[in-house]
This record gives sequence, C-alpha cells and structure tokens, in this order.
Amino acid sequence: MGGPKKTKKDDNSKKWKKRKRDDDEYVYAEEELVDVGDGGIPNAAKKNVESEDQGAAEDEYGAKDYRSQMILKTDHESRPLWVAPNGHIFLESFSPVYKHAHDFLIAISEPVCRPEHIHEYKLTAYSLYAAVSVGLQTHDIIEYLKRLSKTSIPDGIVEFIKLCTLSYGKVKLVLKHNQYFVESPHPEVLQKMLKDPVIQECRLRRNIDTTDGSAGNPDDFITQVQDKKGVLQFGTKQGISSGVVPKEHGNVAPGDQTDNKPAEATVPEDITNFYDKIDKEDEDDEEEAVLKTVSFEVNQEKIEVLQKRCIELEHPLLAEYDFRNDTVNPDINIDLKPSAVLRPYQEKSLRKMFGNGRARSGVIVLPCGAGKSLVGVTACCTVRKRALVLCNSGVSVEQWKQQFKMWSTADDSMICRFTSEAKDKPMGCGILVTTYSMITHTQKRSWEAEQTMNWLKDQEWGIMVLDEVHTIPAKMFRRVLTIVQSHCKLGLTATLLREDDKIADLNFLIGPKLYEANWLELQKRGFIARVQCAEVWCPMTPEFYREYLMCRTSKKLLLYVMNPSKFRSTQYLIRYHERRGDKTIVFSDNVFALKHYAIKMNKPYIYGPTSQNERIQILQNFKFNPKVNTIFVSKVADTSFDLPEANVLIQISSHGGSRRQEAQRLGRILRAKKGAIAEEYNAFFYTLVSQDTMEMSYSRKRQRFLVNQGYSYKVITKLAGMDEEPDLFYKTREEQSQLLQQVLAASDVDADEERIPGEGPRTGPAVHRRVGNMSSMSGADDAVYLEYKKTAFSNIKHPLFKKFRT
Amino acid sequence: MVNVMKGILIECDQAMKQFLLHLDETVALGRKFIIQDLDERHLFISADILETLQARVDDLMDQISFPLADRGL
Amino acid sequence: MAEASKVIKITLQSKNLQCKNLHDYLKTLPTEILDRLYNHPTTCLAVYRELPEIAQHYVIRILFVEQPVPQAVVASWVSQAYSKEHNEVAQVLSSLRVWQEAAIPGGLPGWIMNSAFKRNMKIALLGGGKPWSMSSQLETDSKPRDIPYLDSYAMERWECVLHYMVGSQQQEGISADAVRILLHAGLMKRDEDDGSPVITREGFQFLLLDTPSQVWYFILQYLDTVESRGLDLVDCLTFLFQLSFSTMGKDYSTEGMSDGLLVFLQHLREFGLVYQRKRKAGRFYPTRLALNIASGQSRSQLDMNREGYIVVETNYRVYAYTDSNLQVALLGLFCELMYRFPNLAVGILTRDSVRQALKSGITAEQIVGFLRLHAHHRMVAVGPPVLPPTVVDQIKLWENERNRFTFSEGILYSQFLSQADFEVLRDHAQDLGVLTWQNPQRRTMVVTRSGHEEVKRFWKRYSKGAG
Repeated sequence: MGGPKKTKKDDNSKKWKKRKRDDDEYVYAEEELVDVGDGGIPNAAKKNVESEDQGAAEDEYGAKDYRSQMILKTDHESRPLWVAPNGHIFLESFSPVYKHAHDFLIAISEPVCRPEHIHEYKLTAYSLYAAVSVGLQTHDIIEYLKRLSKTSIPDGIVEFIKLCTLSYGKVKLVLKHNQYFVESPHPEVLQKMLKDPVIQECRLRRNIDTTDGSAGNPDDFITQVQDKKGVLQFGTKQGISSGVVPKEHGNVAPGDQTDNKPAEATVPEDITNFYDKIDKEDEDDEEEAVLKTVSFEVNQEKIEVLQKRCIELEHPLLAEYDFRNDTVNPDINIDLKPSAVLRPYQEKSLRKMFGNGRARSGVIVLPCGAGKSLVGVTACCTVRKRALVLCNSGVSVEQWKQQFKMWSTADDSMICRFTSEAKDKPMGCGILVTTYSMITHTQKRSWEAEQTMNWLKDQEWGIMVLDEVHTIPAKMFRRVLTIVQSHCKLGLTATLLREDDKIADLNFLIGPKLYEANWLELQKRGFIARVQCAEVWCPMTPEFYREYLMCRTSKKLLLYVMNPSKFRSTQYLIRYHERRGDKTIVFSDNVFALKHYAIKMNKPYIYGPTSQNERIQILQNFKFNPKVNTIFVSKVADTSFDLPEANVLIQISSHGGSRRQEAQRLGRILRAKKGAIAEEYNAFFYTLVSQDTMEMSYSRKRQRFLVNQGYSYKVITKLAGMDEEPDLFYKTREEQSQLLQQVLAASDVDADEERIPGEGPRTGPAVHRRVGNMSSMSGADDAVYLEYKKTAFSNIKHPLFKKFRT
Repeated sequence: MVNVMKGILIECDQAMKQFLLHLDETVALGRKFIIQDLDERHLFISADILETLQARVDDLMDQISFPLADRGL
Repeated sequence: MAEASKVIKITLQSKNLQCKNLHDYLKTLPTEILDRLYNHPTTCLAVYRELPEIAQHYVIRILFVEQPVPQAVVASWVSQAYSKEHNEVAQVLSSLRVWQEAAIPGGLPGWIMNSAFKRNMKIALLGGGKPWSMSSQLETDSKPRDIPYLDSYAMERWECVLHYMVGSQQQEGISADAVRILLHAGLMKRDEDDGSPVITREGFQFLLLDTPSQVWYFILQYLDTVESRGLDLVDCLTFLFQLSFSTMGKDYSTEGMSDGLLVFLQHLREFGLVYQRKRKAGRFYPTRLALNIASGQSRSQLDMNREGYIVVETNYRVYAYTDSNLQVALLGLFCELMYRFPNLAVGILTRDSVRQALKSGITAEQIVGFLRLHAHHRMVAVGPPVLPPTVVDQIKLWENERNRFTFSEGILYSQFLSQADFEVLRDHAQDLGVLTWQNPQRRTMVVTRSGHEEVKRFWKRYSKGAG
C-alpha cells in the first residue's frame, strides 16, 4: 500500500524491503514456508510428476490428449477413476465403489477439488510418502490403482509411484523404554544404511565391553517379532460405552454399510477383494504384526543428525511412538468421558494415526467447526503420556483447556496454561497448553516463566498437539522442534492450502498428512452447517467511483469499502436477518469502515483497542441479550478471541485475497445448527463487494479454496426488497457526498487494515507499515496465478476460432 | 442556427460513465474523445475512438476479474 | 443502484439465429403455393397437428359447414376470458389460409374454410380419395434394418454435416450440394482470402441447437433452394410431410416417385433422413430425423439425442463422457479443454473461454441451453436445477459484462436558437421514429444516422419557411 511513510519503523525499510512479505500475516504464513532453509527434503520428494506429461500431444482443441497412452477396459463403467500421466486422478463420486476408491485416494494423493460429481486428486511425492507412512506398500498402491482405473495406468505413473515409495517408509525411528531405535522389517535396508559413516556415528552400542568391539560385525541387529496387543480403542477404558466401536475388518459406520450393500453387486470382484486387503492392512497392520523386524539403537543426542542424514540417503525416518511399551514416562491419568462420542470421520482420522497400535506423527485436516479439538483431546487420552498443546493465541489456550475439561477426565490440577496472562504451576501437570510465540520468543522472560521453560525443555513429552499448523511459519516450527522433545506430533488444521507445493515441507517437520475430510460430505451428513455463500455486488455510486478512478491506491481501498451502496446493502442485510431472528457477525478488516458502519448503525463493535472488559460485555450481550443480534468485529476476531455462535456472517472488508482467512471465517458459522434441518440452508455467509473495483478480483481469489471444496457463491446483483426498505442511510446525494468528504479527509492510516500485535511478547517487527502495492497485498502477484495467466486462453486453440473472423 | 455533429451515442450505467469521463479527462486514450456529456447515463463521443475504447473497457474488466476456476495444477 | 446492473441491449449486436416453426415457415410461402399444398391430405394433417388446441377445435367445428360462419358465432365458442387467445388463433388460421374472411349475407363478417384444406382434411380424417401415405407394397427386405441401426445411421450422417462445419479433421466430406446449402443458409461463408467455407456466428449458434431443430432449420434452408434445382417445392414439402407420418423401421417403395423426388430423396439420404442401401435399391427407410421433421421446434419430439454426457460442477469444471470428436469440438466452443481420456474430456469454463464464445456470436442462453440439453443423468438425478445455478448465473454475468454499453451511431443536434425550433425538430424526429435522445432544457437531441438525412431536409425546409 502507499509509499513508505517515514515512521520510525520504516527507517530501516531498506533492510526490510526484501522481506516485505513478513509483516503480512497471511501471505506470510502461506508463502513464508517457501524458504526451506536447510533443504531437509529427500530428493525423490522434489520430483514432480506434473511435468511427466510434457510429451503428451495436444489435440486440436488444446487439450492434453492421453488417448494413445491408455486403453479403456471393457468393464470401465464399473470402475470409478481415470489416472492421467501427470498424476491427476479423476474419481466419480457416484460410482458404487466410490467409498473404496475414496479411502484409498485420500491415503495416496492430495485432493484438488471435491465438488458434487467428479473429484480430482493429485499424486505427489509427499502424498505418496504419507501413504507409505500409514502402512501402504508400493506394490499394493500400484495394484489397487490399476484395478480401480477405467483404463490402463500410464507407465510413467507406475514409475513415479515406485520412485517415491520404494525407499520411503522402510525405516522407523522408535522410542522404547527411553531408548531410540532405528527399526525396519527390511534387514538389507539397515545394512545399507549402516555402511554410511554418519549413521555409524549415531549408532549406540551398549554391549561393547572393550574397545576392540568397535570394528565388530555391523549386522548384529536386535531382532524381534513385533508383538501386537490387538486393536486399539480410543479412550481405552470407556471405548465401548462411548460408542466407539473397535475397528475390525470392514466395519464401517452402519450408514455407510447400507449405502454400499446394494451397489456391491456391480463392483468388480478384484476391487472388493483388494479393498479388503488394503483396508485390513491399513487399519491393523496385520502383516507387519507377524513380520520380524530388525533394529539398532541410536544415540539420543544424535537424533537430529541421524534424521537429516536419513533424508539425504532417501530413507526418511518415520517417527512412531510405541507408547504402550514406554515404561519410562509415567502414564497420566486421563481418559475420555463417556459423553465424548466420536463422529465417524474423527474416528477415522484417529485410526490413521494409531493404525498399528503405535502413534504416528502427522497432520489431520478437518474443517473448522468439525471438532478438531475432540480429535486432539482423544489423541492425548489415547497416548496417556504427558501432552503439550501449542496454539496461536491466548484465547485458544483457554479454549483448549475448556475442551480438555469437557471431553476428558482431566481437571484443573492436571492442565497447566502457560501464556503471558496465565501462568499455572507446571510441576506435576499432565497437559500443558501454550502458544507458539510463548515458547519460541527470545526476549528475556520473567523468572517464573523461565522456570517453566526450563521444565518444559527437560520433559520428554508423549505427544505434542500443534493447533492451526498452517498459520505457523516453518522457521518458528524449527525452533519449537529444537526446544520440545516429544515422541509424536499431531498437527491440526482446517485448510491445507497446497497450491504452493513447498508447504509440504511440513511433511518432514511434523509428519505426513494422515487424513483430510471432505467438506461437502460432512455438510451432507449434517456434521457442519449448510451454508449459503453469497457475493453481493454493490455498484459504486458515480461520485465514489470517480474518486476511486483518480486517487492513489491506498485511498482506493477506503473508497470501495465506504461505497454508500455497500453501506446500504449491509444495513439492509442486517435488518433482514434481525427480523428472521438470526445472529449476525459483521467482519471488517478496515478499522475506519468498522467504526463508521457500527457507529452509524448503532451496533456494538470490537477491534484491537477494545478493552478486555468491554469485549466480554459485548460478547455476553450478543450471546444472551435478545436485543443484541448484530456485532461488528475487526480481524482480531479471526484469531484472538472465541466468537460466540452466529449463523450469519457478513464481510464488508477483508484482507486482500487470503483464501485461508475466507475459509476460517466460514468456519465461524459451520458449527452444525440443531433443529434446522428442514431448511435448505441454515447459515449465511455474505461477502459484499463494490462493483468495478479491485475488490471483485480479491473476492474471487479468496473463494477459490472453498469453491474447490464444493461450495458455490451465489452472485447477487440486486438485493430483492432493498429498494422498498425504508430509512436506509445514505440514500440521498447530499448524504452520500458528505460521506465522500469524510472518506477523502481520512488519513492514510485509516485506509490501512488493523495491525494486530503478536500475542505475548513481540517477536521481531510484527507490526510495521506494509510496503508494496495492492497486488502484492492481495496475493495477486502469486506466481502460480501469473503463470496461469500467461498460458491462458490468449492463444486460441480451437480450430474454429482460428478460422472464425467476426 | 443549429449545430450538427456526427458521432456515437453511448448509453451506460453511471459507474461506467464515470470511467469514460476519467479516460477522457486523463487523456488516457491519447486524446479527448467526448463530444458532449449528455446526462447521467448518456455520452456523445467521436466515432473513431470506439475500438480503442472498447479494448480499454475490456482491460478494466480483465483487471477486476480473477479466474474463478482452478486448473488444479 | 439497480440500474447499474441492468442489462442494456446492444444495438450493434447482430441478429440471433431465428429458428422458425412449421407455421412460421408456411406463412412465408406465397398463397398460391399454400393452396397447392393443401391439395394433399398429409399437409393438411401436418398443419392441423401443429395448430393450437382452440384452433383445432374451430377447424373440426366448421369442417362440415359449407357456408361462411359469422365471426361473432365463432367468438362465442370460447368464453370472454379467453378472447385474447381467440384473436390470436383466428389470426393464425387466417395467415395459414386455413380459413379466409368472407362476408355472410347481411354483411356481417364471417369466415369460410379454404376449400382445398377442407376437402383434404376430411380425407385425412375419414379416409377416401387416393391413398395418401407412401407406398409400402414391397417384397420383404432380405436384409431389413432395425430401429437402432437406423438411429445410428441417421446420427452418423447428420454429424458429417456438423463435423464439416466445425472443421474437425476426422471427417468424411460432404457433397458440394450440402456445402452450398450451408453457405446459402448463412451458417458458413466463403473466407475472403482463400474462398474456403468458414463458419459464421449463425453457424455457431446452429451447432448448439438440439438435433431436430438443426435438421428442421437446415431443411428449411434447403427448401429455399429447391426451385433453383428444378425441383417442385410443393412436391418436396408434400413428400416431407408424408415422411413425417411414416413408420420407423418400415421400408417404403420408391416406385411411382418422379425424377425430381428421386433427386430429393438422394439429398435426404445424404443428411440421414432416409436410409437406402443403394441408390437404386427401390426401397428406403425413413429415419427418426425425418419423422421429427414437421414438428419443427415444438413440443414432444422423438428426440434422438443420445444419453446426456456432460457434467458441470460448481467449480466450473466440465466433464464430458464422450469419445466423439464432434461433441468435444462443440464443448471446445466455450470451454477450455484440459485433458482427453479415451472416454472422457475434461474442460473448464473460464471467463476467457466463455467470452470467446460470446464474441463469436453464441449467447449465454445458448451455452446454458446446450449444457442443460446434454446434461449427464447424474446431473438430472441430483437436480432440479440440473445445472449448478451459480455457474448458470456466472455465464450470464459474463455476457452482461459485455453489454454494459450500448453504442449507436447518431447525429447530435444542439445550440438551437429557440425552444420552439428545438421542439419542432424534435417532434418531427420523434414522428419519424429516429430520435434516440433529447433534452429540452439543453435544447439538444440525437437522431439516428439513418434518420439524419430526412431530419436535415425537414430542418432546411422549416428554417427557410421560418426565415
């Protein structure tokens, strides 16, 4: 925005120039991860199958023509998918084998989009790594993919799968009895690894009596037949009574099963057979259970060196925690309450994590409002070792504590909060909840906090839960990982935005994605609200548009947010929903607009400077006072406090093109509403955009993620009934022109969005004026997009258009 | 007496009219082209600018459009 | 506020493809031809079949009345509430020359039925006269063709025409005659540089029609040219109507057909309206294309469109279950195509691709209509609406976006010396229907370009007179 203003902070603007993105919280989180730092990624993972089809011919209409590369099977109608040579997979959601294929695809590939009928997935090195780490094997992946496909599978895909999976998932890092072991069912792999001097360095030999043993046979592995304690139940004690049925082969939620039965008839046998096999293996790891494994012990201090080296050797270590055999760390006395009933998808995601009786590290992706915290709490109750929960604000810390108390038997004495406001005594607690910034900041701490930090560092944590993992830059992660010693890590997030492939580095920092829910499916099954999304077009009044065209970029924003038509639409929508008895939250990232709208309409509002007391008062009123049905909030509400339930959300000004912010805000109204099943929609999400301004483009960019999840935004060019609505403000030219004068008189600071100081002590320049232009703010300079633009329709492919002249 | 001029009558919404006025005032098309500002939704312009003008309007629309659809690549 | 989003029509926009129905077509024919047409029971029945219900009722009621019937009497057959329908229907019957105005003794206006129509309609309904259907006195065909065969044959032939239009590479050419019809119909035109036929904006619109409408449109254009081929229009039309009353899967004899009709038959054969094993086979099978013919665009067509194959998603993806190059080519008119699998094409509706189509003269309504017409059964099962409403809306918004301006060439009159002068000229322009804008306060007005000469002349006369 605007040219650099000479504020104190900007004096070092030169230094900041190349890092100008840093201050933008959202762009930052979405793009910062690009810088990997120490390249801790195996080579195969850098492989991109996308380019594998470069050689594919284009047909006369500009489409990649794969017809010559595959043969259609005669029974193609009963098989659900197509696999393109570039790794994209198309799945018919209406196929009788949809469920079989869906479970499998979610394990081996990334969802690209999942609307109503045909879903698209994409094979990536990371997704295959994830597949291997939940126990799938190269041969099975290829074989099952072949069987599900309507056509033959392109050779390149088979090669790619082999390349990405053969060496992955073979070696695990296991902590047992407080000793670290590198374990594998493949002795030859360990032999190979041990030939590497760095790995040898890391190896720990306990039975060496004399120094001459050092040259001993490197092959004397510890051999063991893995002993399985049967199938795991979540919330071990109350498992059955809490309605969680232990997973046995083919046991699915009753609904699913009935759905599937009649269809089975048309399913080719090879698919069902194989599904059972994969399903079994995935859940129970039976084959592995009877497998002998070999292992060698490693020196705990060398773990990090070892991990890095293994990645270089193309054998990334999978971290698994055999918590049931961990006798060193004491169990904590925590269980799920009987009232905690897991929904099928929550259970499924947990089964991916605990599939083989051990705890795998990884990321679980669930929409906002779909019960991520219950998954986190259940994971902690399953491991039953000391748990550390990291979240991104003090408010979330409080929420997590509440969640633990709600779903588990943990009480206040067991839960310790560690934030700048709340510092409970940590000693003896089983669960510590804190923020990322709290443990990573480097400034001086109070003595008390220092003590807690030291204690935290000394602990061997059973499980670390990382909330909202994708809001956290990779750098901060690395710091967390050097401070906290934990046996397993569970990342939770709602939006894994993956067009920036680099974000998948998290795969190697936390672990692979274990599960990703399908929004549309959850919506259909009533687990999240059915939301009508709408984009309301508000024509710019001529006077405002005139100024908009003439003024500098920074003022443009203010002009399109303050557009009288937008104000009137907002006012109308608020009244409309108040009359329906709805609860409405209005979001404005721009503080000038926030205040103006709220004051003019006489509604309470909350933004950064609003005091804690006032906030609580406003929120309480909104919750319980039937007269307060609408509140205005700034973007502090995105992260910094727990918004009460509402079923209408109106955005009047939002942050450029952040798709994640859009999804998060939608999440505010996703918590399923009870008793409103009759209506087609039970929640409403409006975005108001001023027509013919850049806001249109930002708005579209923001929607993309949700559109790919199957949401659709209805464009409303005219709000029915608005013209008849009496007493809306800014009706006359005079009123409008007064408003225009106020906007023009506003300073540049007013045009800015609110800056939110980081929670807790500030880490670096979290707040400073943004340099750069509108497009960088909106994320419009997104390289992916630019590239797309270039290759867009400009070169006309269709032979007809080449010929056609108007 | 009466003054007679050939040209093109444009009818459009108010915002778009502002856009044309803006192009005219800032000489963005290389020269002035509005012969007369008739009313809120009408302008009279010189005929030979039409093509340039239409291209410019297309540009504006391109600018504020973001591809909705994701190619998933 | 509301006005800004209002769609304003463009005056410079060229015409949309007009697809006439049977009646519209017949109305364009000279009365002499119409009267000759009514000499055949089949035509009468075909016309009758397409009449509005009230009109059918009137026809039956006066079919056996030999004198003119007072108009007031006919009007009394329907209640006052339907007088609008009555008037329309009366108009239809007059323009088709089913009946004509005739004074009845005493001078009251009345209607009398066209005698040829009356005679042959009676034959059609009651029998008698010469046999009016086609001859089927044949020995049994040793290799009879069943309906599925005829359907696929017809589609294959018809698609050759479409393939030719889209210029797709894999095609079996079409005859020079067929090309001439396409050119004549304005569906294609000669390229200015190399003279090769290229598609026109009407051609694009044509491609997106459903098959029966395409065939009907094409045949109408063909009929325009029959006389220049030395064929008799009435014979050809009558034969077409006979075909439309024939039975699928049955073979008919060519015996007794005139040389002209035999030529006509060969043309119909090329387009797939009839099947003949060999040119001189002596027998032919009408196909569904022919059976649909006279129903034009109206209701209950025996649509032979294959099963729906297009899936449109809320995220603008388009999937077409097809291996047909033609279908993919059609989709490519407004979609960006991404992948071709052996039985599936993957595309995406983008602003660019839709705008490209709009620029080529295809309308949003036609795109939406095409997608809806060929929607995959999954879409139909999930609907209604069959298509995602947001996608439909967006296609229309893209169209509206292009229609934000109306441009019209005109002449600006300003600086009138007196209000009276202004008003005189304005009123005159208004009377001529050439006034496009005016403002009395500013004494300014705009007239259309075509109206300018006239207005100018008037002004000269007027100012001379005044001065």
